[in-house]
Amino acid sequence: MSVSEPPTSAPHAAVAALLKPGAHGATGGQPVRLAVRDVDIVQLLARKGRAEDAAAAIKAAYGFDLPSPGRSAGGDALAALWIQPDGWFLIAPRGTEGALARAVKAAVGDAGSVVDQTHGRSVITLSGARATWVLAKECRVDLHPAAFGPGRVASTQIAHLACTIHQRDAGPTYDLIVFTTFAKSFMESLTHAAEETGYVVS
Amino acid sequence: MIRIDCPWCGMRDEAEFTYRGDATVTRPGANAPEEAFHDFVYARKNPRGWHVEWWYHSSGCRQYLKVVRHTMTHEVRTVARATETPEVPSE
Repeated sequence: MSVSEPPTSAPHAAVAALLKPGAHGATGGQPVRLAVRDVDIVQLLARKGRAEDAAAAIKAAYGFDLPSPGRSAGGDALAALWIQPDGWFLIAPRGTEGALARAVKAAVGDAGSVVDQTHGRSVITLSGARATWVLAKECRVDLHPAAFGPGRVASTQIAHLACTIHQRDAGPTYDLIVFTTFAKSFMESLTHAAEETGYVVS
Repeated sequence: MIRIDCPWCGMRDEAEFTYRGDATVTRPGANAPEEAFHDFVYARKNPRGWHVEWWYHSSGCRQYLKVVRHTMTHEVRTVARATETPEVPSE
């Protein structure tokens, strides 16, 4: 690739290609569904002492409060996930290259630093009645409805890889956010765990 | 296996953390004698008992935490934020 070549418009195509359409693994049970979401991911870090200013700016621009530790806010059009003190991921359906990062930067100004993570991270969606059962095999976070649920976020390790888990609904549907460069290894572990109950890729 | 109750993330497994050593040593001033820097870098007490340690939540919230751990039983008594000074039990 030459240096002048523009960034690809399909940063998650290689990860999506790891999943083959069809039914896999055990049959006759309750298969889970696996998919790769094509999204823009932006990391927002409030600058020192400016967390309230950044939160006010996001509230004014997008209409929701930045979430507290372990939680998410917003919706499918734009979701904010708490990832660390004064740090969040902002996730939206894939748009024009870099547009979300520019919009968020324009909103927060010097109250926060914005880094486009769209190419660096990939979002794998695991859903279905047995999704919690599959995920519980992979990580040590307590996923019981008494401790976790829709709108909850946890950064942990899955298959020795850093992974941020976001439960989007009670289905349950989980978004698993991983480094794109490790997505192949991650997917091998996840599909292996899902084979016991079966998984479907549409 | 040690479980650490991260003030940000809640109860988490040791595997998410990276041990970063004694949290009680402080860096000497810039003009301190060479011996003071030697002690800062190399000299550790290695106590049998309660120990205040840095644990970095590398696979979680990426924060440094102060953990009060018993070096013989591995019991974790207190987990505090980096800016706090946790109480150390006498026994």
